[in-house]
Amino acid sequence: MKNLLTRLRGVERDIIQPPAEDQAPYYEPQANEIRVFEAAYRKRLPVMLKGPTGCGKTRFLEYMAWRLKRPLVTVSCHEDLTSSDLVGRFLLEGEQTVWQDGPLTRAVKAGAICYLDEIVEARTDSTVVIHPLTDHRRRLPLEKKGQEIEAHEDFMLVISYNPGYQTVLKDLKPSTKQRFIAIHFDFPAEEIELRIIRNEVPDLGEDSARRLVAAGRRARALKDHGLEEVTSTRALVYAGSMMSAGLEPIEACRVAMVNPITDDVELAEALMEIVKAHFAEG
Amino acid sequence: MNSEVEKALAALAEASFVAHRDALAALPCVRRHGDAAALEWLKACRELFLHDRDAGRAFIRGTPAIEEVAEEVLTWTRQALQFMKWRNSWKAVEGFMDNLPRAYLILGHAGEVRWAEIGHKWCMRHLESGTAYFRTPVDDLAGRQGITGVENVCTPAEELFELRRLALSTYLAGAIKVRNLLGAPAVLPWALRGADILQAGRLRGEAYFRLESEESLHLLMEQLPGYRLPEHQRLMQFLVAAWYPGSIGLKDGNWSPDQGRAFVETDGRDLFLPAAMAGREEAVLGVLHAAGHILFGSYRRDHMEALFREAGAANPSVDPGQRIDWQPLYALFGDDAPRFQLLFDLCEDLRVDWRIGKVIPNHLQRMVEEAEACHPGPGPAADYYDLALRTLKRAANFTPALTLPHQGGGNASRRFEPLLAEQATVADAFRIALQLYREIPLAPVSTREECQRAYLPGRSPNAARPVYPREEQTESGKQQRDLDQEEGTPSQTPLPLADEKSPKCVQGGEPESDQKTDRMAGVGGQAGFGIPQPARVQSHGRGQGAGERGIPYPEWDYREGRYKRNWAWVQERKLAESNMNEAIRLTHQYAHALARLKKAIQAQKPTRQAPLKRQFEGDDIDLDAVVGFVAEKRAGLSPHTSIYRRRDVQQRDTAVTLLADLSTSVMQQLPEGQGRVVDRIRAGLLLFAESMEVVGDAYAIAGFSSKYRDSVSYYTIKDFEQPYTGEMKAVIGGLSGRLATRMGAAMRHALTRFRDAPCRRRLLLILSDGRPEDYDDGGDVRYLHEDTRMAVKEAGDQGVHAFCITLDPAGTEYLSRIFGAGHYLVLDHINSLPKKLPEIYLRLRR
Repeated sequence: MKNLLTRLRGVERDIIQPPAEDQAPYYEPQANEIRVFEAAYRKRLPVMLKGPTGCGKTRFLEYMAWRLKRPLVTVSCHEDLTSSDLVGRFLLEGEQTVWQDGPLTRAVKAGAICYLDEIVEARTDSTVVIHPLTDHRRRLPLEKKGQEIEAHEDFMLVISYNPGYQTVLKDLKPSTKQRFIAIHFDFPAEEIELRIIRNEVPDLGEDSARRLVAAGRRARALKDHGLEEVTSTRALVYAGSMMSAGLEPIEACRVAMVNPITDDVELAEALMEIVKAHFAEG
Repeated sequence: MNSEVEKALAALAEASFVAHRDALAALPCVRRHGDAAALEWLKACRELFLHDRDAGRAFIRGTPAIEEVAEEVLTWTRQALQFMKWRNSWKAVEGFMDNLPRAYLILGHAGEVRWAEIGHKWCMRHLESGTAYFRTPVDDLAGRQGITGVENVCTPAEELFELRRLALSTYLAGAIKVRNLLGAPAVLPWALRGADILQAGRLRGEAYFRLESEESLHLLMEQLPGYRLPEHQRLMQFLVAAWYPGSIGLKDGNWSPDQGRAFVETDGRDLFLPAAMAGREEAVLGVLHAAGHILFGSYRRDHMEALFREAGAANPSVDPGQRIDWQPLYALFGDDAPRFQLLFDLCEDLRVDWRIGKVIPNHLQRMVEEAEACHPGPGPAADYYDLALRTLKRAANFTPALTLPHQGGGNASRRFEPLLAEQATVADAFRIALQLYREIPLAPVSTREECQRAYLPGRSPNAARPVYPREEQTESGKQQRDLDQEEGTPSQTPLPLADEKSPKCVQGGEPESDQKTDRMAGVGGQAGFGIPQPARVQSHGRGQGAGERGIPYPEWDYREGRYKRNWAWVQERKLAESNMNEAIRLTHQYAHALARLKKAIQAQKPTRQAPLKRQFEGDDIDLDAVVGFVAEKRAGLSPHTSIYRRRDVQQRDTAVTLLADLSTSVMQQLPEGQGRVVDRIRAGLLLFAESMEVVGDAYAIAGFSSKYRDSVSYYTIKDFEQPYTGEMKAVIGGLSGRLATRMGAAMRHALTRFRDAPCRRRLLLILSDGRPEDYDDGGDVRYLHEDTRMAVKEAGDQGVHAFCITLDPAGTEYLSRIFGAGHYLVLDHINSLPKKLPEIYLRLRR
C-alpha cells in the first residue's frame, strides 16, 4: 500500500526510493554493458556512460538500478549547478541555521546509485567535489561543515558524458575522466532498435516501425554534415508515438526527427527527403 | 603594273627585311585578286609597318588565312589601315587580324563590315576598349546570333561608357556570359543595374561587371529559370551522402542554356551539375541516378572491357587523363548511332534505377510519377520515352517469380528482365540494347533536341563525358580511396586536381557528337559563366627551400571530401614595418572612444569578480544580510530572505586571439576618401589591445596573408604571455596589406598557438574584409570556403570558438555557411570598427 502511495502522480516523494520490485524498466541490451556494469558495481568503481543523446544511457541506468536493487538518485547537471547543490547547504529555519544534505550526500549516506547526468554542463568546482568519491578513499568532504562522510558500502557514482556535444566551451578534465570505468554507447543495431520501438510504441504497426527505423538509420549517415546530434532512438520513439497518436507519418517524422535537430534549411530538406522516400505511398 | 608591285616590294624591303620576307610569302594569294589589289595591299603593309612594327607584322602574317576565307583583299586592308589613326594600336590590329577569318565565316561579308565598324568606333572612344573588342573571339561575341549578337552585347556598353566611363574590357566578358545564359534581352537590365552599382562605388561596380561579386551572380541566378542547383548543392551533397556510402563529389558542370536540356552528368568520379534544371524533383532524381551509375558499376573497368569485347571493338582507349571515351562504341553504328545510344542508355538506366530502388525505397515509383507528369508530347522521341516509362513501371512492380502480361512493345518486355538482377552488368545492358536495336522498329531521331527529349526526368545521356573507369576493389570496398595509395601511384590514378583543368563536356546527346567541331563547342568552358570552375591547384615542387617551408597543415578538399595532407604551409614571420607615430596619432584620434570603452569595462569589472550579495539563493550565507535579517525579524518585521551570497556565473577565464586578415584588399581607399581600410584595422587593433589590458583576459594578436598554398604567412604581433609593449603598438601602427587570404590555414595555425593559452574558454576572433581566396584556388571560391568551414569545425572540436567580423557587405551570403548562423558579424560602417571591436569581444565573452 505504501509502495502504491509513493508512486502516485503529483505527490512529492523523497528522492531516495528503492526500485519497484515488480516492474523492470524496459531495456534492450546492445552488447556486454550489463556485465561490465555489474563487474564495476561489485568492485564499487565509478562508471562513466559515454554516447550520443537519446541512445539509452539513462534507461540503461534505471534498468541497472532495478537489477542491482539499489535506489537511483539522478541529478541533471546544468550550468549553474554548484558544489553546494550536490553536497548540501545551510538554511535558515526559524531562529537557527540548519544543514540540508544535497542529493549527492543523501546518496552517499543511503548507499544509492548517484547519477550525474550530462556532467559537463556543471561548473568545474562541482566536478572536483566528486574526485575523492571516485578513488580508493570513497569519501565525500563536507567543507562547510568541516566534516567528511565515508560512503555507504553500496554507494556508486555514475556520470554520463556526451563527447562532441557542446565541447566548444566545455569538456571534462582529463583528471576527472580517468577516474571512471567508461562504457561506450551508440545507437542500437537495426533489429534491436526495431524491437525497442515496437516495445515503446506497442500500437505502431510492424511495417511503420520498420520504415521508421530504416529512415532513422539513413538520417544518421548525415552525422558529419553539420548535424550536432543525429536522429536518436528516442526521437524515433517519439515519432512512432506521434504516429500512433494519429499524426500522418511524414508529419510525425518532421516534428519528432527533423525539426528538433536542425535549423539548417537544406539539412532539414535532405532529412525530409529521406523520410518521404521511406514513407511514400507505394 | 608588275613593276609597280616590284617597286612597292622594294620599298617594303627598304623598311624592313622581315616585313619584306613575310610579304613575299603572302603575296601569291593576294595577287589572285589582281595587281591593283596587290599594290594597295603592299602599300598598306608598308604604312602599317612604319606606323607600328608589330601591327605591320600581324597584318602581313594574318593575310593568307583571311584571304582564304574572305576571297577578297581590299575591304579588310582598308579596315586595317584605319588603325593608323591611333598610336600603340598594334594589339588591336593583332586581335583584328586573328579574328577576321572567323568574322567572315560567322558573320558573312556584310556582318564583317559591321563588326569592324563597331570596333573602330570603340577604338575612337577608347583605344583599350577597342583592343578588348577586337581581341574577343568573334564566336563569343556573336553567340550563334550573327552580327545581331555582336550588336546586342556592345550597344549597352556605349551608354555605359558615355555616362560612367566604363571600359569595354571590364564589361565585355561578363556581358557575353549573361547573354549566353539568359538571352539577349537580359543584357541591358543587367548592364543598367551594373551602372547604378558603378556609380555607388567603382571597385564594386567593376567587380559586378566581371561577374566576380556576389551581387551580380545573385542577380543572374535570380533570373535563371528553373531549379537552380548551385544554390542547392549542399542539399544534393547531403542526399548523396545519406543514400550512398563513400565519397562522390559534386561539381559545377559547364552547362549553359544554349546546350539544350540540362542534365546531371558524371565522369565516373564526380557528378557535374548544371546551373539550373527544370524542377526540383528532376534535379533530385538526376543526382541520385547519376550517382547510382557510379555506384552500381556502369563504369567498372572489367565490365566496360567486357562490353567493348562484346561490341567487337578493341579494348577501350583511354585519354591522357586515364578516362575512357565512349565514342568508338557508337562509331560502330555510323549514322544510326543516336538510335542505338538511346536504346543502350534506356537499358543501362533501367538496370541502374532498379538497383537504386533496392537502396532507396520508392525510388522507382517516384521516377514513374515524375516521368508521367513531364511527358514530352508527340514526336519520335516520345516512342523512346514511352518505352522507357513502360519498362520502368514494370521494374517498379517486378518480382522475379511473376510472369508479366504482355503489353505494347511486343516481346520486348521480356527482354528487359535480365537487367533486373543484382548480377546484371553494363555489358548485359549492351547486349540487350543490341537485340532491341535489331528487332524494334523505332523511328530514328535526327536532332539533338529530339534526342534529349527522349530521356525520362532524372536520366541523362550516359556517354556525356569520358569516364574514369572504376576498379573492382574500389567498387566493393565501399569506395574508400586510400589516400596514400593514391598519392603513391600517380600514374595510375592521377590526382584529379592536377591532371585537368575542367573536364571536357562532350555532348554525347548529340547525334553528330563524334565530329570534332562539336567537341570544341562543347568545351566552351568560357560559357560556364561565373559558376566557379574546378580549382586548379598548381602543385609546387616539394623540397624547395626546406628550411623556409614552415609548418604544414592539411586542407579540406570538398570535391573529394577529404583532407589533403600537408597541403598548406604556414611560416611564422615578423612584421618588419613599424610606425610609432601612426600608433600615437591613432591613439590620440581615438582617445575619446578609448576612454569610454575603458569606463564601460571598469563598470563591468566588479560584477565580474566580486560575488553577488543579498541573493535569494546561493552557495553561501551572506553574513551581513543574515545579521540584518535576524535583527529585522526580531524587530517584528518580515524581511526578505535574500541572505545568500553567490559568485557571479559570468566569471570565466577566457583567452582570445584576434586574427586580422592582412591581404591586399585592406589597402583599398575608403569610398568616403578618408584614408584606407587598413587605417581602421590599425585603430581597431590598438583599441582592442588597450581594452584587453583593462579587461585582463589573456589575448594574442596576429595577422595573416598568403600566396599559394606553400606560403601562408602568419605574423604574431602579440602572444598570450607577452606583455603589451610600445614596440607592438608601433608594429600595429605600421600594418599594411599584402597578397591573399588563405583563411583556413591561418586559422589552423592560430589553433595550435592556443595550446599555450592557459584558459578553458577560447575565442578566435577573425577580422576580415572579404571572402577566403588565394591565387591558386583557380577561381573556385567554394574550395577555400569549404576549407575554412572545416577549419571552423576543427576549432570547435578543439574547444575554440571561432567568430568572424567582416567588412565585406556581401559577407552574409557566405559567412553563415562558413561560420554558422550567429557566429559572424558584418560591419556596415567601417568607421565603427575601432570601437566596435572591443565591444564585440566583451559581448562574446559574457
